[in-house]
Amino acid sequence: MTRWYEDIHSGQKLSLGDHTFTLEEIVKYNLQYDNQYFHTDPELAKHSHFGGIIASGWHTALIGQRKLVDGLFAEEARLKALGEEPGLSGPSPGINKMSFVTPVKPGDTISFELSVTDKRPSKSLPGWGLLFNNMKAVNQRGELVYSADYVAFSKLRDFKPTLKQRIGIWMARAFSG
Amino acid sequence: MNNPITKDYAHFEDLEIGQTIDLGATTLTKEMIITFATEFDPFPFHIDEKAAKASLLGGIAASGWQTGAIALKKLLENFPKKLASAGGLGFTNLKWKRPVMANDTIGGTVTIANKRRTKSRPQWGIVTLEFDITNQKSQTVMTMSLENLVDVRNPEITDEGSPK
Repeated sequence: MTRWYEDIHSGQKLSLGDHTFTLEEIVKYNLQYDNQYFHTDPELAKHSHFGGIIASGWHTALIGQRKLVDGLFAEEARLKALGEEPGLSGPSPGINKMSFVTPVKPGDTISFELSVTDKRPSKSLPGWGLLFNNMKAVNQRGELVYSADYVAFSKLRDFKPTLKQRIGIWMARAFSG
Repeated sequence: MNNPITKDYAHFEDLEIGQTIDLGATTLTKEMIITFATEFDPFPFHIDEKAAKASLLGGIAASGWQTGAIALKKLLENFPKKLASAGGLGFTNLKWKRPVMANDTIGGTVTIANKRRTKSRPQWGIVTLEFDITNQKSQTVMTMSLENLVDVRNPEITDEGSPK
């Protein structure tokens, strides 16, 4: 959430804007990554229970990830403009659960929102905290498209490593090539 | 089911618990990593060499989302017969355990861990697919579990795959 771990609290929300899926981008993604008839061919897709072509769930989540990264950069710029110092986001260790509820059809406009549900200091990575975030994607009719529970690393501002931790960090750096 | 497209595809009844699908091998070049991340996951540590070196990952590493996209692509390509899928319900326990660095080769297996039917949707069964994605050193880089709906060939027969 582009703030220091200490400044992030459960319940904080970040609106990530929306994206309108075109037939062209749906077909392009699916021909490369999810080549099934209801994802690639509008005519054949009519035979499926979806009644027409739909986006791949993974593609929908990828667009959500893009909106998330753009949203974090925009928030960082906003904080800097206010004279505040943004924090540092790290890589993600995983996703606890991601559920696809309503399919995305060409022309659908999906809005994305991230909210913080919990946080705790990382046990494996001194100086970093773990954030638990929920991503929600909703279509133009207000129907839930997908919901995902993300885990993400966030850097601690006030971290003072113990001597043992300092030696650990130094050794990790020295031996990581 | 009278779907002319999927009539010869593998149906729920054709799948066996314990069956594994090998995903083959895919090498991720730096160019592939940067192209994908620029479109979908443009964190500096995925697309900028200098930022990547200074990050926790220590060099250009693939977006975990790309590893997942490739795993799903490879599952479709390597399934012995096309699957009469009725769509994915979602993923659980998705873990990015190790970074995939430029020029790493990823592969691994998908195992059919479970299959079950529900009373509410007799036309479909739910199949649980466990992904174990590994690198060229046989280290696991990503795991996830996918629940997918698969067409049942004979919905009127209810003793198949322990219905509830």
